[in-house]
Amino acid sequence: MNDPVIQMRGVSKAYRKGGQVLHVLEGLDMDVRVGEFLALMGPSGSGKSTILNLIGGLDDPDAGVIHVAGEDVSTLTGDRLATWRARNIGYVFQAFNLIPVLTAQENVELPLLLTPLSKAQRREQARYALEIVGLGDRRDHRPKQLSGGQEQRVAIARAFAMDPTILLCDEPTGDLDRDSADQVLELLRRLAVESNKTIVMVTHDLKAGEMASRVLQLDKGVVEDAPA
Amino acid sequence: MNLGRLIRRHAWSHPVRAFLTVGAVAVAIFLFCFLRSIVTSLDAAVKESASNRIVAASAVSLFQSLPLAYKEAIEAVDGVESVSRFAWFGGRYKKPENFFAQFGCDARTLFSQYPELVLPEGQAEAFIADRTGAIIGIGLAEKYDLKVGDEVPLIGTIYPRADRSMWSFTVRGIYRSKRANVDEMTMYFHFHYLDEALESGESYGPRGTSVYLIRLQDGYRGEDVAAAIDRYYEGGPQRTRTQSEAAFQADFVNMLGNLPTFLMMIGMAVLIAIVFGIVNTMTIAARERLRSMGIMLSLGFSRSVPARLYLVEATGFALTGGVAGVALAFLTQGALRKTFGTQIPMYTVASETYVWAAVICVITGLIGGAVPAWQASRMEAVEQLRRGI
Repeated sequence: MNDPVIQMRGVSKAYRKGGQVLHVLEGLDMDVRVGEFLALMGPSGSGKSTILNLIGGLDDPDAGVIHVAGEDVSTLTGDRLATWRARNIGYVFQAFNLIPVLTAQENVELPLLLTPLSKAQRREQARYALEIVGLGDRRDHRPKQLSGGQEQRVAIARAFAMDPTILLCDEPTGDLDRDSADQVLELLRRLAVESNKTIVMVTHDLKAGEMASRVLQLDKGVVEDAPA
Repeated sequence: MNLGRLIRRHAWSHPVRAFLTVGAVAVAIFLFCFLRSIVTSLDAAVKESASNRIVAASAVSLFQSLPLAYKEAIEAVDGVESVSRFAWFGGRYKKPENFFAQFGCDARTLFSQYPELVLPEGQAEAFIADRTGAIIGIGLAEKYDLKVGDEVPLIGTIYPRADRSMWSFTVRGIYRSKRANVDEMTMYFHFHYLDEALESGESYGPRGTSVYLIRLQDGYRGEDVAAAIDRYYEGGPQRTRTQSEAAFQADFVNMLGNLPTFLMMIGMAVLIAIVFGIVNTMTIAARERLRSMGIMLSLGFSRSVPARLYLVEATGFALTGGVAGVALAFLTQGALRKTFGTQIPMYTVASETYVWAAVICVITGLIGGAVPAWQASRMEAVEQLRRGI
């Protein structure tokens, strides 16, 4: 668990809003090691989600270098970036972000279209992922037929089915009640421990922080280690 | 699970909108086929005209009759094989609103001049033998449910009967046409029947014939024979204008003014409107799906995938509607031929019209999908996901 799978060096990011420049990250250095379950905490606007987007290559840094799973993400573009993301990154969002017209099974199968798996293999892998998150009996339900907690578990199954190197979770319990949130957190913890997945989770939830193996507190784009 | 399923699910996620879009395309394509078929049917009559027939009409107007005495003189012109009088009768079947074309002609020469007319055995002879007999096209027979032996009462308009009674003809034959230049919505009867009634005073109206139809001997050029006839009557008593059958048919089309151009312009306007319709539908759909497309990008799909999804979906809408529109055009051919039989006797949707409809559907779909596809190709996943967070 000593190799850093994510390395951020001197990373800066600013956004323009209403003619004003908002410096979200300034010269950020951060390492995340293989198998870590890292919680990023801090007030709104401190740059937590920006870090996730930069790690996943959804956003570009204004300055600095980001190495993720052996690649300098900022040099990847277009189809190469998409392929790299499909192989290495799994996303879990606060708003679940399932495709509403597809069933749970189909949502999990969707990213598997990017793999060389056969149709039968894709179906089986998606079924397995849904079993893992305890939704084997909800395969044919559409998102609006599921509870928030179940939707989030489908989203985790979708991310997990691709067997990514890193799981990026943006406020995964933000829209859930306490019971559902606990189930989701327990699921993430199990994935980190049993499957040795690296998880980076943005959260305001103190209990979520307690589940993590390490907590980083962010304040105005500056990182401070905090006890897990 | 495949992307095709995702496209179908997205397309039918709003069934009413999808149905209306497909329906609008279907109506537009049907209208295109219909309007184009009017033009091509009229053109076909011109293009398929026989090259060995020429038509002599009054140089003044098509509505001016030519003297009957011209027949013998025309027959004597070098290159003429046979001459038939064709008198436009203009009658109404039973009621004033029932109109179709009727010509008084020389029955014996009609069949040698028009090998396009095909009748069951014995019917041509039966027609020739009956002074009040007539032959009618199969389209006419079907429209008015007429059979051989039925009486066809006609109200004389150009040639009313002196006692105000109706003209009476007997159906002796029902013909089919081998070519588009001869329609199946016309009635031919004996010129003598009309002329004798005028002679005896049973009827009144202009004496003479509307046109002379001339069949050429082999080896003679229509232009030369036509020029010889027109030269002969250059000094009167009434000048002639003799032209090929194709040119004569084209004159009829030209009498409609710029109608073909007008119809095609309407057709194009309808298609442009439907392109806007599809662009509108797809733009709304694309806006609703920004987040879904952002999710796909975050999952590792390249930007070209959402773009292709929109293009395929829009083309799918256009093709589905197009198939429905083409099917409608195909299935209504018979009914439209009956409805517009008098104006466009050989109304047919040509095979090239179907090809054009398919091409238009594909182009319409691609244009319709191009706008959201272009937007999708420039989309940033973070921006789209942020909308939902």
